[in-house]
Amino acid sequence: MSTAPVLGTAPQSPAPSPPAARGGRAAGARGGRRAQGSTWLAVPALVWYVIFMVGPVLAIFVIASLHWPGMLQPRTFAGLDNYRTVLDDPVFWQAFRNTLTQLAIALPVMMVCAYMLAYYVAQRPPGHRVLRYLLFIPGLISTPAKAMFFYAALSPDGLVNGVLRDLGLGSLAKVWLADSGTALYAIIALDIWAGIGFTAVLIAARLGSVSDEIGEAAQLDGAGHWRSMWSIHFPIIRDYFGVATMLQFLWTLFGSAQHVLLLTQGGPGNASSTLSFLVYQRAFLQADLGYSQAVGVFLFVLGLAGMLLIRRAFRQNH
Amino acid sequence: MKRIRLSWLPAHVLAWGYAALLLIPVYYFLASAFKDNGAIFSSPLGLPTSLSPDNFTRAFDLGGLGNAVTNSALVTVGGLAVTLFLALPASFALARSTGRAARVMERAFSLGFLVPTFAALFPTFLLAAATGLFHTRTFMVLLLPATAMPLSVVLLTQFMRTVPPELEEAARMDGAGTLAVLRHIYAPISMPGIAAVVLLNFLNFWNEYLYSLIIIGPDPDQRTTQLALPTLVSTSGTDYGVLTAATVLTLLPVYVVYTVLQRRMQAALVSGAVKM
Repeated sequence: MSTAPVLGTAPQSPAPSPPAARGGRAAGARGGRRAQGSTWLAVPALVWYVIFMVGPVLAIFVIASLHWPGMLQPRTFAGLDNYRTVLDDPVFWQAFRNTLTQLAIALPVMMVCAYMLAYYVAQRPPGHRVLRYLLFIPGLISTPAKAMFFYAALSPDGLVNGVLRDLGLGSLAKVWLADSGTALYAIIALDIWAGIGFTAVLIAARLGSVSDEIGEAAQLDGAGHWRSMWSIHFPIIRDYFGVATMLQFLWTLFGSAQHVLLLTQGGPGNASSTLSFLVYQRAFLQADLGYSQAVGVFLFVLGLAGMLLIRRAFRQNH
Repeated sequence: MKRIRLSWLPAHVLAWGYAALLLIPVYYFLASAFKDNGAIFSSPLGLPTSLSPDNFTRAFDLGGLGNAVTNSALVTVGGLAVTLFLALPASFALARSTGRAARVMERAFSLGFLVPTFAALFPTFLLAAATGLFHTRTFMVLLLPATAMPLSVVLLTQFMRTVPPELEEAARMDGAGTLAVLRHIYAPISMPGIAAVVLLNFLNFWNEYLYSLIIIGPDPDQRTTQLALPTLVSTSGTDYGVLTAATVLTLLPVYVVYTVLQRRMQAALVSGAVKM
């Protein structure tokens, strides 16, 4: 690729195509020699991206095949040993079950509620502008701030127990984050609480571009809003709904490490440990690097498989 | 009006009920920031009795928040500058080229959406160690733009494709070079796209937590607000007034930007997701 001084090359090539010659493809018209010559301008961005993103992701697979019991310890090739250790470890299976539970509850609840809320907002009921503004709040709050709120709400002296006591239901008060029966569900609640609003705004924007006539025609046919919502509007935005589901799937799967870390540290025991937290915990708290990255490979594969599955499930069938 | 009907009552109640659930934390944080632990525990949702800024000043002392806010601003602004510096020329080139190389590169960037970067935490940590930038915010200024590259390039390329080629030809006749064309024609016309990229990445960079935790670590001279915040939680007794005051401070810039640029920001986030 030419790295000749770009600024100096302009005068030697006059505009290559007179307007009359510019027929079918507009893109073809602007692809003169000059434009080809400046393709190298995209290289720095690509190099940056490869070094900081693609490289580390590939490295996961390499490290997963090493015996590496700590940063300063010698590394040896382990082949598939790490994967075997992981698969024999009950802690991994507990984290795996927790991740599946988390996805199985959070994803459907979040997406169905978000879609219904989006449909409601898209009908432009009174106050819908204010509602749209409010629904965005979780999209603005950083993970630590969200976690601090749940921490303050669920701590023994926190908001939830305080309200329960005020209502005379003090017997229901719990140490929510340190109780093996509720810790994982607190994480799931955080996912759902934050996920609904943001997804609803995304879907409402898409619903906004569906022609009003479709809804009115449905009403003339006597379809109620429930039917209009699920059998008329939903098929139209099905593809987009799939993309939003995929996004939430990835955020829930990979993002849970931060929530678990900030709220429960996987405890009590491993009751609220998830796969992505296990990757973090084994690498940075227990320095079992090969094991950690082998779990990372599982996580990666699970992410890809889930994405393809969701994509297939919501593909537009014309 | 046909919109307001009795059958809609459950929908109104549910929608606004959820909105209230989103507002409670905002109110709770604001109110608690002016209370002490006793008042927070005894009446969690009560109004504060005084508006003394004690908790805020103590948050600055205890959490080293002054430093942290400066660091967050440095990382965010530095990251945004690097992102634009890389993504603008790249999308300019991709939008104008029709060659095979350009098509392959554009495909590579759009595949970036599928790379679950969370999984690569440990290798990234090794990279930071190898470059000698471990425990510095400098590495974050270099790393964050890379995470932003797929979305930024794909989004900006689409905006730059809308520039009419006649404009460039006219400028070329006047003797403008390639970079002048980018600066004076493509960049101004793509302004809505640039605004979307800046806003999206502002949110992501300011709020980034997990990578910063690993890379920057506990050094108060380097850490960002998102890292300083959780350090105010202590097992031996958390001062919730200080914690909530600090949280309010970290949310403030984001809320101000959102309130001022609400429509733009929603459009930006929506377009970010649509381009997946």
